[in-house]
Amino acid sequence: MSLSPFLGKVFLVDLVKGLSVTFHYQSEKERITEQYPQERPVVYERYRGQPRLNVNPDTGESMCIVCNLCALACPEQLITVKGERNPVSKRKEVVSWTYDISRCMFCGLCEEACSTDALELTPDYEMALYSRQGMVLDQAALEKGQAPVRYAK
Amino acid sequence: MSKGTEHLDLDNLDVGTKEKTFLDSTELVLNMGPQHPSTHGVLRVILKLDGEKVLGTECVIGYLHRGVEKIGENRTYAMFNPYVDRMDYVAAVSNGLGYCETVEKLLSVEAPARAQYIRVIMTELCRIASHQVWLGTHALDIGALTPLFYAFRDREEILKIFERYCGARLTTHAFRIGGCIYETYDGFEQDVKKYCTFFLPKLDEYEELLTTNRIWVTRTKNVGILKPEDCIALGVTGPVLRASGVKWDLRKAQPYECYKDLDFEIPTGLNGDTYDRYLVRIAEMRQSVRILQQAVERIPPGPIMAKVPKVIKPPVGEVYHSIEAPKGELGYFIVSDGSTQPYRVRVRPPSFVNLQALDTMVRGMLVADVVAVIGTLDIVLGEVDR
Amino acid sequence: MLDAIKTYLNSTVTPGEAGSQFWALLYIVAITLGISLAVIAMNWLERKILAHMQIRLGPMRVGPHGLMQPFADALKLLIKEDIIPANADKLVFWSAPVVVTMTAFTTFLVVPFGRTHAVTDMNIGVLFMLGISSLGVLGIIMAGWSSNSHYPLMGSLRSSAQMVSYEVAMGLAIVCAVLMTSLQTGTGTLSMIGIVQAQQAQGMWFIFKFFPLGFLAFVVFAIAMIAETNRAPFDLPEAESELVAGFHTEYSGFRWSLFFLAEYAAMLAVSSIAVTLWLGGWLRPFPNLLSGPAWDLAFSLIPGLSFLVMAAGCFLGTMRMPKIVQMRAQAIGLGTFGALLGLLGLVMLAPAVRDRIQDIFWFVAKVAVFMYLYIWYRGTFPRYRFDQLMKVGWKVLLPIGLGVLILTALVGMRHELLAVVVGGTR
Repeated sequence: MSLSPFLGKVFLVDLVKGLSVTFHYQSEKERITEQYPQERPVVYERYRGQPRLNVNPDTGESMCIVCNLCALACPEQLITVKGERNPVSKRKEVVSWTYDISRCMFCGLCEEACSTDALELTPDYEMALYSRQGMVLDQAALEKGQAPVRYAK
Repeated sequence: MSKGTEHLDLDNLDVGTKEKTFLDSTELVLNMGPQHPSTHGVLRVILKLDGEKVLGTECVIGYLHRGVEKIGENRTYAMFNPYVDRMDYVAAVSNGLGYCETVEKLLSVEAPARAQYIRVIMTELCRIASHQVWLGTHALDIGALTPLFYAFRDREEILKIFERYCGARLTTHAFRIGGCIYETYDGFEQDVKKYCTFFLPKLDEYEELLTTNRIWVTRTKNVGILKPEDCIALGVTGPVLRASGVKWDLRKAQPYECYKDLDFEIPTGLNGDTYDRYLVRIAEMRQSVRILQQAVERIPPGPIMAKVPKVIKPPVGEVYHSIEAPKGELGYFIVSDGSTQPYRVRVRPPSFVNLQALDTMVRGMLVADVVAVIGTLDIVLGEVDR
Repeated sequence: MLDAIKTYLNSTVTPGEAGSQFWALLYIVAITLGISLAVIAMNWLERKILAHMQIRLGPMRVGPHGLMQPFADALKLLIKEDIIPANADKLVFWSAPVVVTMTAFTTFLVVPFGRTHAVTDMNIGVLFMLGISSLGVLGIIMAGWSSNSHYPLMGSLRSSAQMVSYEVAMGLAIVCAVLMTSLQTGTGTLSMIGIVQAQQAQGMWFIFKFFPLGFLAFVVFAIAMIAETNRAPFDLPEAESELVAGFHTEYSGFRWSLFFLAEYAAMLAVSSIAVTLWLGGWLRPFPNLLSGPAWDLAFSLIPGLSFLVMAAGCFLGTMRMPKIVQMRAQAIGLGTFGALLGLLGLVMLAPAVRDRIQDIFWFVAKVAVFMYLYIWYRGTFPRYRFDQLMKVGWKVLLPIGLGVLILTALVGMRHELLAVVVGGTR
């Protein structure tokens, strides 16, 4: 064996190189842990999270036109939309609108299928509930969105 | 050729007469159960041992079977797209790419050039991410605790890019049949370039920790040797095949997307042992960075979605198309009967076929090597069981 | 009473040598408490340092920065259900952890924290420590056997084979150091205090003596002691990802914590041997290079200053805690801990305390460096397979140890040898 690799083996150079790598990661600059729930992660706007039925900010009425495209697009068929035609404005209005979060895989097909900007998957990810009953969201819950519970003393 | 797997008849196992205790018999059947820190998922491996040496293995799979192919028969083509991400959940983008390309082949459409470049960038990022998971878990099995955390920390940057692009980190559902639906976000190219400059020194760090480390080398050299003839006979693909010396990569052999316009190399190994597979995957990560650096400079402007009907009804027929997923050749065989739902979707998962090589690789090895070999095959049980 | 304390403070020998049973007993209690405290500290330090090397934070919630984590773990282990396997040999099952723990603690009878700060000074100190730690292997075999299960038995056999193999290399390295006590000046001695005094008399730590021979012997011992205590990279018998589980699989709750305690105490014991034999025991660094009353004063201030630095670190941590209501208790706790450390540091700066504390501080500091090395190795290296492990012990360390021993003897006796050679040829 030539001299340099032999010396490397004798002086455990390969082991020392590994040791130096782990040593330098101890510095404070390398810490990237986010202490949840004090520090909440940054989530980007395209994140497919909690669904929300958007409401027209000017008029306050729902933007959903009951076209049923979202229900048809969903692979799991967990959206049910029922509406009736308003005889005055000749437009369909929502009677009941449910979305089952327990089976949703957040694929985004419903969001893409929506012909208006009514159904949106927001970047909200704190959707934990204590029971399955609350997982079928109705129109009111969907329009409000789900604000995380802040624990305060 | 392998010596042939004897099917272990567990009820009539011959371990000597009843008077002998377990200390007297020379053969032992050991069960590496479905719950085990090193089987990378729910895999059950039954080992027949002679003291420390392995005489034969049998893998029992199916603990993660979710009927994905059956689901495919009951969903429309566009609806099935999110489900394929869940098979190889570590590299979801590749699964989506394979499926979309297969349906596009059935429909005889081709994604526009811009979509192809975006797809290649996402797929190569996914390849790096998948190899990082492999590196971390493989090193952990062999005893090095820290590369896992370094690999996941670097993978976090890729997942951030995925999140900014398509809205999810793991089950990305990034592509659609006919192209991409998401346009690149502002800063996509900068993020990818920044990642490339960030990642190359990290790759050097992984190598400093492991490649020349004498403990790593003694643990992985000449362990789990797979000869090239055995590879081809068993149908093994991916880095395992390339480490045995066979220079076969679908990106070069049957180019898809825009790989023919990009300049990269196929790393191969010499001996086909665990160390070579490690070196090949590290080299593949470097080549992926090279592809990324080229592709990100050359994204052409233009449409990102081809003209695909809203309701996809392919003509009657069948097609098989495969891509080079991080783990090997991922193939989709779709039979269409002319309706909106496929008649049959068959997935050829690379991990499933590679797992069959486990028996050939561990015969004659010690028990502690079985864990190393399972790690080096880079299997994901979601893919094996579907 | 006051006379008793005065005689103790003015004595120049260890209590065991002086024949004073009361103080010896007090020392034994102090050392036992000290080891337990050290194990608790090691538990916390290992989790934190390993986490920092892995870009994580480690325990942060249980106390301020996880300081109460070891106590929480101990409490949890104490209140766990005591499970004994069905056909286990109950007496052996019960006594195995006791054997292992007692041997680990008994080795500390001869460990010198200072000239007068040891329980006793046997004239076969090193041999005693080596012998008693070999008894620990018996406890491991007992544990594996009594569990009445295949995997713990195999694990314990492997563990004991590994420990016994590396004891040979350890023994050779120790003989090398003991040899150095008599080379060229002084008489040879196996007594721990005697070895440190030989280093003091010869004016250099044995790690530097006959460079590189002393250093090589030290390295051989350092590697062998890691394998002796079943730590990474030689921790195959206890690894979780391997198929054959360790010898302590069937032990849960308090019995397991005894094994855990014994492992850390054994680590401390072998590190103490290494420190005593090669790194000058309780002697302060650079006794010859930086000698003189000024340097003596400077070095004697270091213990107090180090505690003050730790206190400053705690206060920094307190100021950086998030200023929300939920973290108030932690902030107060950390501040109090910092204040305690600061008080201790100030006490240690007082002249009366300073001189007496010196020896103990340097000894503990050197052992702490070894503990950090243990954790560093665990975070960096993969583990050896069992046959490779045995190969390293028998085929690498043993020949090197033998070679170093022979070379040390040759180099140490070179004048006499030359005289014989020259005289013989004349």
